[in-house]
Amino acid sequence: MVAEHNTLELIEMGKKAVDFALKNGAQEVEAFLSFSSGTSINIERGQIVKSEKSVDQGLGVRAIYQKAVGFSYTNILSTKTVEDAAVRAYKAAKASKPDPTWVSLPYPRKYGETKDTYDKKVEDMTSDQLVDIASTLLDTVTCYDKRVLAVDGGVAKSVFGSVVINSHGIEVSDLGTAVGCSVETIARDGTNVTPACFEMDTRRNFGIDPVKVGTEAARQAVCSLNAQKMWSGVFPVIFTQSAFRPLLYYTVINAVKADFVLRDRSAFKYKLGKNVASEIVTVCDDGLLEGGLLTRKFDGEGVPCQKTAVIENGVLKNFLYDNYSANNSGTKSTGNASRSGGESYASTPVLEVNNFVFSSGTQTTDQMINQIQNGLIVYGVQGAHSSNPESGEFSVVATPVWKIENGTVTHALRDVMLTGVFFDVLKNISGLGNNVRQLGQFVAPWVKVESIKAVGAI
Amino acid sequence: MKNVLTKTVDYGQSLGAQYVEVRGQNLFKTSLTTKDGTVETAKDGSESGAGIRVLVGGAWGFVSLGKLEPNLLQESVKEAVKLAKATSLYVKAPVKLAEVKTVEDVVVAKPKKDPKDVSMEQKIDNALRMDKAIFGYDSRIKSCTINYLDVTGTSYFVNSDGTCIQQDKLYVWSRILASARESSVFASAREEIGSTAGYEVFDSQSPENLGTMVAKRTVDQLKAKPPKGGAFPAVIGPNVVGVFIHEAMGHLAEADLTLSGSILFDKIGKQIASDIVTVYDDGTVEGAFGSFKYDDEGVCAQKTALIENGVLTGLMQSRETAHKLNMPPTGNARAEDFRVEPIIRMRNTYLGGGDSSFEELIEDVDFGYYLKSFRGGQANLDGTFQVGIQEAYEIIKGEIGDPVRSASISGNTLETLRKVEAVGKDFELWPGRCGKGQTAFICDGGPHIRVGEITIGGGA
Repeated sequence: MVAEHNTLELIEMGKKAVDFALKNGAQEVEAFLSFSSGTSINIERGQIVKSEKSVDQGLGVRAIYQKAVGFSYTNILSTKTVEDAAVRAYKAAKASKPDPTWVSLPYPRKYGETKDTYDKKVEDMTSDQLVDIASTLLDTVTCYDKRVLAVDGGVAKSVFGSVVINSHGIEVSDLGTAVGCSVETIARDGTNVTPACFEMDTRRNFGIDPVKVGTEAARQAVCSLNAQKMWSGVFPVIFTQSAFRPLLYYTVINAVKADFVLRDRSAFKYKLGKNVASEIVTVCDDGLLEGGLLTRKFDGEGVPCQKTAVIENGVLKNFLYDNYSANNSGTKSTGNASRSGGESYASTPVLEVNNFVFSSGTQTTDQMINQIQNGLIVYGVQGAHSSNPESGEFSVVATPVWKIENGTVTHALRDVMLTGVFFDVLKNISGLGNNVRQLGQFVAPWVKVESIKAVGAI
Repeated sequence: MKNVLTKTVDYGQSLGAQYVEVRGQNLFKTSLTTKDGTVETAKDGSESGAGIRVLVGGAWGFVSLGKLEPNLLQESVKEAVKLAKATSLYVKAPVKLAEVKTVEDVVVAKPKKDPKDVSMEQKIDNALRMDKAIFGYDSRIKSCTINYLDVTGTSYFVNSDGTCIQQDKLYVWSRILASARESSVFASAREEIGSTAGYEVFDSQSPENLGTMVAKRTVDQLKAKPPKGGAFPAVIGPNVVGVFIHEAMGHLAEADLTLSGSILFDKIGKQIASDIVTVYDDGTVEGAFGSFKYDDEGVCAQKTALIENGVLTGLMQSRETAHKLNMPPTGNARAEDFRVEPIIRMRNTYLGGGDSSFEELIEDVDFGYYLKSFRGGQANLDGTFQVGIQEAYEIIKGEIGDPVRSASISGNTLETLRKVEAVGKDFELWPGRCGKGQTAFICDGGPHIRVGEITIGGGA
């Protein structure tokens, strides 16, 4: 249908915008263009009932005039609208106030290699193929146990790309694919309703496994039935990736961003070279991770993506930088400028992690569970976004969550809150599994924390 | 525009669709961010496009495109029909829509101050004055981020029932976030302002006053102590009541989630709360951040009672869920923009007023907490909710005591609603943004209430 993507055309439009803004008086200019085209099949309340397709593209222009930054975007790409956006960006800069700490837009650097970020087979997937996968996923859930309902979920594939052109000579483009399936389940037995359970599989290349996703989501729902309340106490806790990710995101991930450090909002400000985590913890941010969901050649400002050591054996090694925070810290950008959201052309760069990778441990998941006499295993947390990003204090509901007794998972729990300071939790990590997987920008194994305060409702 | 969209609808019907709707939009956005007294970027943008939804054989097809050219709209409706046909082979319970009155209307926004007429310079100046007041309040303030956004433009809606609506969009929004630090103690606080009336919402209090208020709230937390964990009585302020009603009750009463098995599934017509509890979702509050005249299925917005005197009487509906549940449509189907399909969203959701004064609410509490403003909240289909609290105080022998920081409350919605012991006679409505895959602008609120017991999770 609608012209899907034509990178060369986008590059031409970007050059036009940069030239036009310069001609009008801007001192530095950057054009960011992106496009996306996606198809999805949706599961709702136990049936496949909807298909969607969306196509979008656009241009965002940053213009700098006397250290003030202006930005304008449009999703209509004609010579007139592109020139209009260029002038509006320049006018916005003129209306704004100078930022005395502005140095410059980035200059060209050499790009690294990315692997497994584009798969023609994904781009070519038909809606019939997607419907087949959705149908397999749904059947897997439905056949697992009559009490389980696939509340929500589906299959989606997308092709996306971006172009960055700036007045210092950066001119790059990239193309990627992704395909994923997910399902949210609940189980109902009489008046007993479980919390929502969730499983997903997203990849850059062809080959997602709907049977595995469906089986695991259904298993979690069935095992969540007949949850019991518990007494408060301090317990060893195993966090699966889906439970650890949100807590990490709203605390530690902010603390390693250079803009938080520069603005005195990071608990890690004076911790470079010091112990911030248990010595078994090694973390890097890897924008070039093979097949990584956030892997790309360059970031939202055209700076090369790279692998940056963040924590090595518990010691804080580096912060993460975009161009602006790097310029203000006298260092080089680590390629962590992100253009967020589905319509990335409509946003200015924000400092964000790429693929945030915890190194694997050696224990199997069974070994991790077997070591615990009296503890918890948590598959999800609710309310992590209400954590205090500066202090790392958190207070979340664990759900779904199970009790571990004498080395075995015994029963589901309900009304359990976990509280603490996440920076202490990091130092308290006593085990890492060998089951590394990627969820969003987070790549990690299961994580065992030696002791966490749990508030029960008895 | 109307003709182009009508032709697209007609073409969709000629291809065999039972129902076709086309939403076209032209939107303009202005936004800016200041960080610690510096303007990060002044931004504007324009976008236009269409979202086309068709029903074929009881299945939905949806196509969105960032263009409004007639030939591309025709191609897209054809694609939508194709997608729906492929999916319809798998449909077990075909989708049907509740009947609604067809409408032809033009809704024009009438702001006292149109944000388009306010210069970028003035919007920046407003933010910087607030920033200055915040940093000027106390040297322990370490950072301040202020976001501003306005959205203006027009939405067009045409469907195969004969409804045809042109409706202006107007939103202004700002968020102030401050943090403070004293040795190793960090604290942060935030405030949000939002309106569909116009830029005049910023005239109700000066940027200096607003800044001072946020700064005080931030700095006060530095001397606050963490709460005791456990179950305690609590007096809850309108800001926290709002987010509790929105997260813990509201989402479960969105008919799509109710049908998905939320704990309200089998509770319609039954007593689910203490009999002094009445809850509304109301799209008609003038100028409120969650108000509009027609939703994105062309249904007129209304004031919907969800709980009346403790009995669950209503749900928030789309045309699809209203038909399925044989209940009246309520005008709750909203789409963030043309890129996405309408789904069931809240509007302005609040607890109705009672008759207690604030003093009456706290006087009988021997030891408990006064929960004044929230940081964030979330709920699950089984009714488990969590609300993070940014400003709280101890209540000791009927008096407000020391400040408490980084608390959060949790529990089960139904158990908590039954424990509401008293409802205040005051009322406040707070703007917010709600995420459900898409972002919707909403309000929530109510009066102060007292709850017999709620689980408090501590900080450290």
